[in-house]
Parts: sequence; structure tokens; C-alpha cells
Amino acid sequence: MTRAAGAAAHAFVVIEFNGVTKRYGKKVAVAEVTFSVRPGKVTGFLGPNGAGKSTALRVLLGLDHATSGTALIDGKRYRDLRYPLRTVGALIDGAGPVADRRGFDHLSWIARSNRIPRSRVGEVLDAVGLTDAAKQRVGKYSLGMRQRLGIAVALLGDPDVLILDEPVNGLDPDGIRWIRTFLRDYATQGRTVLLSSHLMTEMADTADDVVVIANGRIVAHGSLPEITAGHPSLEAAFFALTGEQKQVWA
Amino acid sequence: MSVLFAATGAELSKIRSSRAVWLITGAVIALHLLIGLANIRNTTTAVEGITPDGLIEIFAGEHRPAGAALIDLLVSFSLQIVVMFLPIIAAVIGGQEFREGQLAQSVLAVPRRGLLTTAKAIAVVVFMAGVAILVELISNAYLFLAVKDWNPRLLLGGDTLADHGTLLALAVLVSLVSFAITTLMRSTLLGIVASVLLTALAMTQVLARTVPAIDALLPVSAGRNLLLDPADADLSSSAGYAAIVLVAWTLLCTVAAGLLLSRRDAR
Repeated sequence: MTRAAGAAAHAFVVIEFNGVTKRYGKKVAVAEVTFSVRPGKVTGFLGPNGAGKSTALRVLLGLDHATSGTALIDGKRYRDLRYPLRTVGALIDGAGPVADRRGFDHLSWIARSNRIPRSRVGEVLDAVGLTDAAKQRVGKYSLGMRQRLGIAVALLGDPDVLILDEPVNGLDPDGIRWIRTFLRDYATQGRTVLLSSHLMTEMADTADDVVVIANGRIVAHGSLPEITAGHPSLEAAFFALTGEQKQVWA
Repeated sequence: MSVLFAATGAELSKIRSSRAVWLITGAVIALHLLIGLANIRNTTTAVEGITPDGLIEIFAGEHRPAGAALIDLLVSFSLQIVVMFLPIIAAVIGGQEFREGQLAQSVLAVPRRGLLTTAKAIAVVVFMAGVAILVELISNAYLFLAVKDWNPRLLLGGDTLADHGTLLALAVLVSLVSFAITTLMRSTLLGIVASVLLTALAMTQVLARTVPAIDALLPVSAGRNLLLDPADADLSSSAGYAAIVLVAWTLLCTVAAGLLLSRRDAR
């Protein structure tokens, strides 16, 4: 599918962070985070461990309450979407299945919650290569299989927006290549992809735009060529932008 | 409304697909069957000894009108399971949310926390009502086996059916209280401990004998006050007062659980 044809088939959904601050007690996890994510692009959200990536995404998805500021998807808070999983698919660390439930059952209750046809469960299991393991309890899954199940959950509602936090964690090389190709195709259809990672090489191969966060603050935001300009690689640019800064709470 | 139906359906799917819930529910039903089996010979013997003037001796030296005594036995048989074990099942259901990131996944699927809490409460009511009906059917089946040659229509009396309705309501309300307490404490274990403590306070009747006014305000004690005959037990309030206490506990605990879910981050 060409980008134009794909774009015609899907709504242009933009993600916007406006001055989002999140404090846990006296600790500031993210401070005045402001950036937007364009449709039709894969946007990489880069930062060291503890920089605030997951917190920012949790605020965007309504899991954590922002201390101040707003995070909107298509101009709305996530919680105001009627059936949110039909618009936004998310893979977030700390949002997972109970171990004593079967993979199929985990996807089934989620599908039911958003009136997603039951047939989608089989489709997404097939897409992530878990069809044969669908009847196994999640407790018996490997790390990679759990990650694939999380990706299946994100894809369940065939959403216009994908928000994935460290999606290649635990995946084997085949899985990593699959997800890279998949996300590129997804964005080509005019959909919006926000991808959090601390893996530079992976991000350089996948992202069109890059947002860099360190110590809870956005330190750079632009297209991949803009961010890497003057540096031999994204990794070099990343350390130039963040390497001098110690990872401490503000 | 369709959003609420969808969310409630999802919560029921969660309950139905949890092995832990089925294991604990199966254990409770099996225990009920075993207790019934152990008692049926005594009950049958007592029924066979009903005197021509209609008196039965279920407990040694205690002669009572047979019909009323057997219905009291039926209610007591179900009541012990309902107040002792159904809250534990409800605690296991509520505690699932706080295992392995389930709560965050639930909030991603149903981000409006008030709606999520309402859906959860309805799902608990539906599931626990099903379990309670099964408990009552088992109790009825055992009693029917004991009385079928004496008065097979005993179980169809209006008072009997009213007792079943009250028992069903009690089962749902004490289960909801346990579910809400578990949600407030964010732990299955703490929810079970709280439920066992409330049950122990009611069953031992320590407070009922020492400070009945306090006892009357506890949910399981209210359940006992609602169902049992004042002639057979030390009750600390009237049935009407008990009903108000039970409903108040259920509403307050559920609303508090909903508020807490709404205000806290989904972690």
C-alpha cells in the first residue's frame, strides 16, 4: 500500500504532550514535557533508563495522573475515548496478563471490553506467531512470548495509534525484524506510531522522528536526520545530548 | 450503557477464565457437598423420628415443630458457607487486579475508573449470585433427600423461598463487601484476612454478648441478625436494622474502592 492510499484509509491521529509534569511525592519523574507525534511516521522516544519515558507514556494512557499539563490523543484525553482500544493500541511495561490465565482468554476479555470482534483474537495471535500457544497459561510463556502477547493486545483493536514501550525486549532476532518491518508498514498506512526504547541501533533503523528525554525533560525533538546531523550515528547524537547529564531526580 | 455492558462482560470473562477463582470455588462447593453428605444420615434419622404431633429432635433434647426446624436447618447449612467462604472467593476475584500488572491492563481497556469499578461490582454480583444459588440448590437437594418420604413439598413453601431470597441477597452483599475491602487493601491475602476476621467476630458471638451495639454494625453479624431466629441465637439487632447495616457496608465499601481506584495511579 502506498503512503497516500494508506493515509486515505485511516484518520490522521496526532499525539500531543503539553507541559506534562508528573511528581511522585517530592520526586519529579517528568517535567514540562511538550512534544507532538505526527501521523504517518514512526516516532522514537529515546532516553536512558529512568529518564521518564514510561512515566510520560503512562500519563498519556491515563494510567498515571499528571501533576500538571495535558497529554492528548486526537485532541482527547485517553480516558475520554469511548472504546479506546479501537483507537490506541499500547504495550506498556507493568500492564500485563495474570499468569494463571490462558493467552487466548487474556485477549478475549480485552476484546470484549471494547466490543472488538472475537475473530480478531485469532488474527492477532496469528500475526504475532502465538497461535500454537494460545491455550497455554501465560505463566508458562517465555519472556519473548509474553512480549508477543503484549503486542497482540496492542493490535487487537486495529488502532490508528500504536504506543509501544520497549517492544523488542525479549524478542529473538526474527521477532525484532518482524516488528521493525511491521511498524514501518503501519506508519506507511498513515497511522501514528510512538515507540519508546533505549536501543539506539534499533531506533535508527525504525524511526522517522526522534524525541530524546533525559532527567525527565525533553532535550531534543526532530526528524532523525535533524537529530543525527553532525554526529556519526544516532547513538553518538544521543550521548552528546544526554551523556553529560547524571540520571538523578530533579 | 453499551460501554457498561461491554465492561461488565469483560469482567465476567476475567472471572470465568481465572484458574484461581475456579479452584477456590470448586473447593468451597466440594466442602459444602461433603458437609451435607456427612449430615444427611442424622437429618434423615431425625425426620424418621418425627412424632405424630409433628415434633422433631434434630439436636439432642430439643424438640421443635418439624417444618420450621428443618427449614432453619436448611438456612443454617447454607448460611455457614455463604458467610464463611463466599467472601473468600470474592477476595480472590478482587485480588486478581493487583497481580502482575492486571490493573494497568484493565485501565487501558476501560480507562474511566468509575465505570470500571461499577462493571467489576456487577460482575462480582452476577458470579457470586450464581455460586450462592448453587450452594442453595445443594442444600435443598440434601434436605429433599431427607424429607421426601415425610413432606416432599416442604421446600416449596412461601417462607422457605423468602429465606432463599434473603440468603441470596446476603451472599451477594457480603461478597461485595469482601471484594471492595480487597480492592481497598490491594491484596488478596489482606482481603481474606479481613473477611475471616469479620466472620470470626460474628460466629464466635463475642461482641454480640459483650457490646451488642457494636456487633450489630458489623456486616457478617448483620447477616446473622438478618437470617437467624432470635429464639435460636444471640442476635444483636432486628432484621430490618441488619438489612440497613449490610446495604450501608456494601455501598460505602464499594464507593470507597471506586474512589481509591480513581485517585490512585494504576500500579
